[in-house]
Amino acid sequence: MKMEAMSLSGLDNTKLEALAHDIYSDLVEDACLGLCFEVHRAVKQGYFFLDETDQDSMKDFEIVDQPGVDIFGQVYNQWKNKECVCPNCSRSIAASRFAPHLEKCLGMGRNSSRIANRRIASSNNMSKSESDQEDNDDINDNDWSYGSEKKAKKRKSDKVFLRSLKQPVLLNPNSPRRSKSLKHKNGELNNNVNTDPYKYNYNSGISYETLGPEELRSLLTTQCGVISEHTKKMCTRSLRCPQHTDEQRRTVRVFLPGPSASTLPDVDAVVESDGYDVSDGQALMNRLQWDGSSDISPSDSASSKASTNNSDSKKPKKKKKPSLGLSSSGTGGTGGGTGGGPGTAGSGSSSQGVLSLPSRKKKPKLPAPPTPSIYDDMN
Amino acid sequence: GVPRLVEWHKQRATSGFAAPSSPNQSECSHLQKLHRGSSFSSPVVEHVSSSSSSSLKTKTSIEPKGKHGTGALDVASAMSPAACSHVNGFKVDNWKQNLRVIYRCFVWSGSAETRKRKAKSCVCHVCGAHLSRLHSCLYCVFFGCFAKKHIHEHAKSKRHNLAIDLLYGGIYCFVCQDYIYDKDMEQIAKEEQRKAWKLQGTSHLFAPAGIGERYSTWEPTKRELELLQHNPKRRRITTNCTIGLRGLINLGNTCFMNCIVQALTHTPLLRDFFLSDRHKCEMKPNSCLVCEMSQLFQEFYSGHRSPHIPFRLLHLVWTHARHLAGYEQQDAHEFLIAALDVLHRHCKGDDNGKKANNPNHCNCIIDQIFTGGLQSDVTCQVCHGVSTTIDPFWDISLDLPGSSTPFWPLSPGSDGSVVNGESQMSGATTLTDCLRRFTRPEHLGSSAKIKCSGCHSYQESTKQLTMKKLPIVACFHLKRFEHSAKLRRKITTYVSFPLELDMTPFMASSKESRMNGQYQQSMDTLNNDNKYSLFAVVNHQGTLESGHYTTFIRQHKDQWFKCDDAIITKASIKDVLDSEGYLLFYHKQFLEYE
Repeated sequence: MKMEAMSLSGLDNTKLEALAHDIYSDLVEDACLGLCFEVHRAVKQGYFFLDETDQDSMKDFEIVDQPGVDIFGQVYNQWKNKECVCPNCSRSIAASRFAPHLEKCLGMGRNSSRIANRRIASSNNMSKSESDQEDNDDINDNDWSYGSEKKAKKRKSDKVFLRSLKQPVLLNPNSPRRSKSLKHKNGELNNNVNTDPYKYNYNSGISYETLGPEELRSLLTTQCGVISEHTKKMCTRSLRCPQHTDEQRRTVRVFLPGPSASTLPDVDAVVESDGYDVSDGQALMNRLQWDGSSDISPSDSASSKASTNNSDSKKPKKKKKPSLGLSSSGTGGTGGGTGGGPGTAGSGSSSQGVLSLPSRKKKPKLPAPPTPSIYDDMN
Repeated sequence: GVPRLVEWHKQRATSGFAAPSSPNQSECSHLQKLHRGSSFSSPVVEHVSSSSSSSLKTKTSIEPKGKHGTGALDVASAMSPAACSHVNGFKVDNWKQNLRVIYRCFVWSGSAETRKRKAKSCVCHVCGAHLSRLHSCLYCVFFGCFAKKHIHEHAKSKRHNLAIDLLYGGIYCFVCQDYIYDKDMEQIAKEEQRKAWKLQGTSHLFAPAGIGERYSTWEPTKRELELLQHNPKRRRITTNCTIGLRGLINLGNTCFMNCIVQALTHTPLLRDFFLSDRHKCEMKPNSCLVCEMSQLFQEFYSGHRSPHIPFRLLHLVWTHARHLAGYEQQDAHEFLIAALDVLHRHCKGDDNGKKANNPNHCNCIIDQIFTGGLQSDVTCQVCHGVSTTIDPFWDISLDLPGSSTPFWPLSPGSDGSVVNGESQMSGATTLTDCLRRFTRPEHLGSSAKIKCSGCHSYQESTKQLTMKKLPIVACFHLKRFEHSAKLRRKITTYVSFPLELDMTPFMASSKESRMNGQYQQSMDTLNNDNKYSLFAVVNHQGTLESGHYTTFIRQHKDQWFKCDDAIITKASIKDVLDSEGYLLFYHKQFLEYE
């Protein structure tokens, strides 16, 4: 089979086909030879055994396709007790609560600045025994894993009990005497730097007895203020704190500040002004004993209007539905608009607004109180 | 894992077998290497369970399994079992250079001239044949065919006991009567082969650069071989295997992150990149998102059945993408872009020095996979001059019918032409419809005049977007969440999307050929450049206020799975194609060298 250069032009179809077939079979034979060499080399170099697998353990990893179980053959929803260690604070957190914990831990998110401000204010005015201004949100957030949560609650109740024994019950709001315990007001007082912003405290709130009228009023414009039956302190959460109802808030505002105080501004914008006389401390105390406990379920409001307001406090009690943050382009003018390109990724797509939405059903947002007008006639 | 292995080795030592040092666990995890595979074939991963190998403690001895190679494995390790001592006679004087010449001239032909020369000169000196497994003697200039034993005769008569196979470059020893593998000689062979590959393609027909690196399959090192031998519970990832799939715990409304993680861990090229340890980190420990991504792949391929807890991932993403600001920001699409951005920023160490060829001018793996180029042509209505810009993109956001901006008609006077097998006249809106709308010429109106450099004045113009360069993975974002001033709602219009997608009609090059009068009504079926396959679909169920993300992912070519946080179940193709669709991930079908 001597090889020589050959022109294809003079050949007819059968010859061309025969040639093509020859070339094809040569190629196939060469390919087979290549495979033989591969195997031969693998055997000689000692890695041919890698082709073998362990049949039994292969069976362990077969995909399962049956109702009620996942592909591993596991029943759904058995992963409730997973925990992880926060890389920021090194605490052990329940996995399903890690995201909200991390949000606070990193100081991000809508509530964090409020919480941080409160801490800043409180830590400046606290004596050592009172250094535990609590971040009320955290107690109910169940950030802690189950074990430590129990401990935390226990400690809190101890402290509260001691404190209420210590302090005199002063019902005259005009008294100049104040306990040092008092003063956190959402950062209104001081702006000193808090040395330990993330220390979780177990206080129960503000003692209303020691507040002056003005302080009381301004407090009530920004805070829930409902007095806890258990601790006799005012709730320091936001005006929409889901642990207390609007009814309770209204009542506090009726009874505490004095005669012509208006109530908490609410959705209906009803202003009630009772001519109430703060005369009898005991009577006041009696009135302030709520029947309702302080652990009302927060997430049962029927209204679920989407709100872009960032000031909602979030209270998870039930299993949360994952919520949806939304971004979308409202502009139709730019032909379709591309998504966030690499260069603009930091701000998302050029035409997308970023939205935060609470996942749980929320009570309707309350309009801001018309502050000056309410308290003008006081003092 | 490790303590048991140590025990077992001790046992072996006392029973008289040689006990090599015990492999440690970190070595085992790196054995999940990829050594073959195209886009959707199962990766041939040698999977070794590094823990929970419960049967190890019951083994008291190990025999090398399999019939082959038993003898080779028993040979003392002083010399590689595959070599022979007879090459020593050859390895004298200038043997290396001589060998190189033989490889260069007669074995690996890189250019057309060398091919011609090889074809002409390599014939059997005895019978003139050139195709019967021709071998060249290593000691003198003699070619003889193997099939007819002419080379054998030469070896016997001349006592030249080494020959080289001219087709594959293997060295044959006539004394051992077998092909042998000598480390030094193989090194030379490999180098010459690489050089020849680089030469290929330098003829005037091809681009100046060569074809590139010749793909070589993974070969285990001696150490790795030892480890693999001592861990016989090896598994291959077949089509019926769960390895590579894993659930993800929801950390508190983090399904938006979980769904993206599932899509990324099932992107074949990303999987290949991370499983072959390509990332070289230049950042402080525990602060690099790419390292965490790498760790994520290890977790997915670990064989663990319990869902993974991606808390470190969340922490890193929030640390590096502060604008996501808390877990209330929960759009999966936004998370995808932010994650790609952070990964891209952290990939600095992986720049392999090659010139970046994508519109983002970066060579990191993220840009190589995800970055495409979007061409925007603004045409002046008066002088018809065109101003063109090309912007990088990681995804394409598509408007849907049902939003406040009108969807139909796609363009003035458009007909019901058939594209991708779907026509406009049929009921459901298709992905192709959305893409056609995206690439339609749009009249910008008299209120948005553009300064035309040709006319030197403000003129009305039309604008059109087309794809200049398609990424390897194309992500389509269906804009289902409307946030205009008047209303906020979710658009649930069903959009049908195909399993296979041809992007050719939307390319800038197609537009040019249309404009030049070359109408291509039929698709060029031989052109595979723009063909894409669906591999992941992120869905959102629920309303604007409260919803849940899940992902369908494709594994092993035609198996689909539904990933719902911690629960992974099998899904049918019908489930996938019937779903609403929010983010659609398509992978190029055919990957070619640059």
